[in-house]
Amino acid sequence: MVFMLSGSVVGKTLFSFLSLLFFVLLLVFFSQFGAVNIELNDWLSLVNSSEHPQSGSDYVLWHLRLPRILFAICIGAALGLSGALTQGLFRNPLADPGLLGVSAGAACAVALGIVIFADLNISIPAEWRFWITPALAFSGAILVCFILDRVARWITPDSIAGLLLTGIALNALAAAIIGLCTYLATDEQLRNLTFWTMGSLSGSNWMLIVAIGVLFVLAWWRLRKLVKVMNVFALGESVATHVGMNISRLRMEVTIWVALFSGFAVSWCGMIGFVGLIAPNFARAWLGGDQRKVIPASMLLGSILLLLADTFARTLAIPAEVPIGIFTALLGAPFFIFLLRSSGRQIS
Amino acid sequence: MEKLCKLESLSLRLGVKEFGPFSLEITKGEGIAILGPSGAGKTTLLKLLSHDLKAHLGVYQFKGKKIQDWSLSELSRSRAALPQSGDVSFGLLAKLVIGLGRISIAGDSHLVEIIEQAARLSCCEHLLDRGFNTLSGGEKARVHLARIFAQLWGEREGLILVDEPLASLDPGLQIELLHSIRQYALNRNHAIIAILHDINQAMQNFDRLILVREGKIIGDMPSGVQAVPSLEGLYNVHLHMVNIDGFGPLVIPKARSHAMLSSDGSQ
Repeated sequence: MVFMLSGSVVGKTLFSFLSLLFFVLLLVFFSQFGAVNIELNDWLSLVNSSEHPQSGSDYVLWHLRLPRILFAICIGAALGLSGALTQGLFRNPLADPGLLGVSAGAACAVALGIVIFADLNISIPAEWRFWITPALAFSGAILVCFILDRVARWITPDSIAGLLLTGIALNALAAAIIGLCTYLATDEQLRNLTFWTMGSLSGSNWMLIVAIGVLFVLAWWRLRKLVKVMNVFALGESVATHVGMNISRLRMEVTIWVALFSGFAVSWCGMIGFVGLIAPNFARAWLGGDQRKVIPASMLLGSILLLLADTFARTLAIPAEVPIGIFTALLGAPFFIFLLRSSGRQIS
Repeated sequence: MEKLCKLESLSLRLGVKEFGPFSLEITKGEGIAILGPSGAGKTTLLKLLSHDLKAHLGVYQFKGKKIQDWSLSELSRSRAALPQSGDVSFGLLAKLVIGLGRISIAGDSHLVEIIEQAARLSCCEHLLDRGFNTLSGGEKARVHLARIFAQLWGEREGLILVDEPLASLDPGLQIELLHSIRQYALNRNHAIIAILHDINQAMQNFDRLILVREGKIIGDMPSGVQAVPSLEGLYNVHLHMVNIDGFGPLVIPKARSHAMLSSDGSQ
């Protein structure tokens, strides 16, 4: 999240510093909300004591509140990133992994996995189990990405409507398969399944944060180079080839990152819609169309959006939790209609 | 004169339409206009030259090496193409679009100056800070032209391919930009191949005319008065020649029959 918003080195350092400060303030501020009150003392004892707390409000802070907030920030950034990459890839401000069926494809693969794998009775080593869901989600997501790329370009080349309609079809297909799975599922599997259709950050823990952190570090290493050339997609395929870009390789790589991040988000948080749509569009309205700015900014905005939504989700009806998808959809659906209106000329 | 590219019976089938065989040699620094009626295969020929389309048969040598052996970034240092219409999504700023012409060059230290000079050459320096989506058709064409200029700015003996560059410009700009393109190419010894619809522009600004009809090259000649009969055959029009001092011979097309009335060549 903290890379290159401006060209100069000073600007870069300043931006990194400011976002770090902003990040810490965000953390402290949002940790105040919740069923258990967090006081300044809890923060101090957290910093001072060497061992992790076992009881009281500092336990809540360390084991529940902090990982939850960090997780919301990370997942929000992942959703914002995959949204920005998808929009750049398809040259279209309406493209979003949720709308195009990528998230649904991931959820569908996980659902199939839960029901079918469980019935096959294969014994899987415990340490692998943790990775099966994300691996399944990734393969579902990447499958949908490739289908989208192929089908949308084959049936309706260069048409935004064609792309979105293909997305609708894939969404419906994935929903049907998930629905089918709920009939085949046992009660316990059903509980797992509903999680994917609702979306929730309640599964957060430190291990997942480390996992997504590693993913971000890897992504940062590759995406740094990728982001610099993402603008070339805006020219269209043939011109991009003329200026010397191997567009099919670039497209493949971006697709894999989109699938990785959406797959990751879906496998641990279920389907959270609209963040990937809203964040890049806000970023574009704020900073213009340059992908080198839009991508980091939409990660930032995505994390803020999701953090806000999640804070509402877990505090509005204490002790119960409202599914986070409700808030993102409440915010996102009107926004989507607004976007449709402003880009109506392109669609028809 | 050194050869830049050589096409040996390049042919291609797109759906039911057959194109070629095209055989052609292009010398470094040459200025060639491709003329022909709509749908004759001019753009297809240009796309074969830019390697957008891959020929099914035949050999295409570019600078002594088969075109398929060139890497894309290597090729982009020697060949630039201006498409018929090029939309840019997300309303990128014009200067960013121009700079994208040089994206395959790592660590390009003169990027900013080159963008400005290229923009000046294609009469669009006042548009640099505008979003591409806010520009008119003619302004977009100028920005794309600047992108081409930027792409081959520091290179020599390259190839510039232009598909109807002037269709959406006013007459004053047409003249000015044609002059810029020619001057730019001349300074760097780039060959330039342009699809044009205006016979007079082609004859005044280009050394050589290639006539395309029904997917084949039906004529290849130096531009000048002697090309007029072939041009009449190409468009199936009568060309009336007039001599005006300072302009050289100009042709005025006149339809042979009402059925042949088309917009081609009558700008």
